[in-house]
Amino acid sequence: MKPAVVDLPHVAARGLGLKRGDRWLFRSLDLNVPRGTFVAVVGPSGVGKSSFLTCLAGLIPPTEGEVRLHDRAGVGHAPGAVRGTTGVMFQNNLLVPTSSLLANVLCGRLGRHPWWRTLAGFPRTDREEAYRILCDLGLGTKVNRWACETSGGEQQRTAIARALLQKPELYLADEPVSNLDAYLTGRVLGILRQEAAQQGRTVFCVLHNAELVERFADWVLSFDPSGEGAWKLRKLTHA
Amino acid sequence: MSPAPRTSVPPSPAPTPPEPPRLPEVRWYERLNVLNVSLLIFLLACVASTPALRGSGRDLDYAGNLKRFLGYFFPPDFSVWPETLRALGETAQIAVMATAFAVVIALPLGVAGARTLSPGWLVATARMLLNAIRTVPSLIWALIGVAIVGANPLAGVIGLTFYSVGYLGKFFSDAFESVDLEVARGLRAIGASRIQAFQHGVWPHAKPLVWSYVLWMIEYNLRSAAIIGYVGAGGLGVQLAGYQEYYQWEKFATVLLFILVLVTTLDLLGEWIRRRITRKLPTAGS
Repeated sequence: MKPAVVDLPHVAARGLGLKRGDRWLFRSLDLNVPRGTFVAVVGPSGVGKSSFLTCLAGLIPPTEGEVRLHDRAGVGHAPGAVRGTTGVMFQNNLLVPTSSLLANVLCGRLGRHPWWRTLAGFPRTDREEAYRILCDLGLGTKVNRWACETSGGEQQRTAIARALLQKPELYLADEPVSNLDAYLTGRVLGILRQEAAQQGRTVFCVLHNAELVERFADWVLSFDPSGEGAWKLRKLTHA
Repeated sequence: MSPAPRTSVPPSPAPTPPEPPRLPEVRWYERLNVLNVSLLIFLLACVASTPALRGSGRDLDYAGNLKRFLGYFFPPDFSVWPETLRALGETAQIAVMATAFAVVIALPLGVAGARTLSPGWLVATARMLLNAIRTVPSLIWALIGVAIVGANPLAGVIGLTFYSVGYLGKFFSDAFESVDLEVARGLRAIGASRIQAFQHGVWPHAKPLVWSYVLWMIEYNLRSAAIIGYVGAGGLGVQLAGYQEYYQWEKFATVLLFILVLVTTLDLLGEWIRRRITRKLPTAGS
């Protein structure tokens, strides 16, 4: 059953704009994304999709406008203030190459424990859950391998598993299936779709495949490569 | 069809080919790069240092001296193997304890000295301190140890600990600086605290390198621990100093052979372990 949601949008952007050099990546962007929405972010390479996600994560400040993330009680926060509730799947995965896949996945739980609790390892329940997620993603036999010893697709799945273990309120996924085959692509996007629909977690996902966008997304946010910062929001009818 | 009549127009002269570009001359001052200048300074220093080769000025039979002196070492007197083995064990204990203490002290200094992790003033202070420690030779540190706790192995541990801190601190700083901080920033982005980002984003990456340096330091300290006994800081050096004092060169040779076997074995073992550790590390750009 879908959890009760407050009227306020989960992600609200007001007049958001980001400029790189003399070129606007996006400008005057207004968004009110309800909780539990799967938003596909599309557009050609270099148009500013990753920068938009980085902005939503609070990792770079916007040139103009603001982003507010409303919690389930309806209180608005700046993205940088609630980092523990945002799960980011980076384009280059950002795994620790000399840590095992299991240890990398467990990093998703760092925001929930004080530093001294994770000094000698994570709680058993966390480790078991991380292992279960890795098994779900077909990595059960490689949990103790160093990340640098695994393939690009396996590293990508590990980064996805890290975000899933975090159980964030907001997923920011930057091309999370670029290295995956058709089966795993469907599996991963299906899980994210399920997270949105059943758990009320909002997903922003950069995708390049129009068919996948139509199949999984509720909304489509497309950026224009003109350099004027134009964007377009489209709600898909199947949703 | 008849062939076209020949015309009487003289053929136009072939265009003169353009002159090939001339290789520009390199002027003398353009050769004064850092490499060439430092090489020149080194050569001048060699010329200026020839007085060091004068020796005593007396007419000595150098080859004969060497032959006679080496002759004292043969045959080695292996009857001293029990005390040599005991001293060898003590040397190893000094080296291991000194390295262990040095690692504990050098780790925070290494973090403080890493430009990517610490503020400028802290980096400058830590590096200055490490440089100062490295300036003092291990034998002097051992002398300081003897002055503090008397002539025993503890003096050796104290001396080598200080000496090792200077090196390990520098190596650890370099190891931490070689870590790509993007991963740690990524962990911060998903809620990790600063300490957690270091603990899970930096330390696992630096750990193999750090351990590789620790192994190297153990080897190095074993060699040093064999010498610092000369000033009374325990281990094989005490034995060496005693045999030297009483001209028992055949026993001295036995101790040297034990050191040779130990150091060579550790060198090979350490190299094998280091290779196993570092070969798994991702190389730059991968």
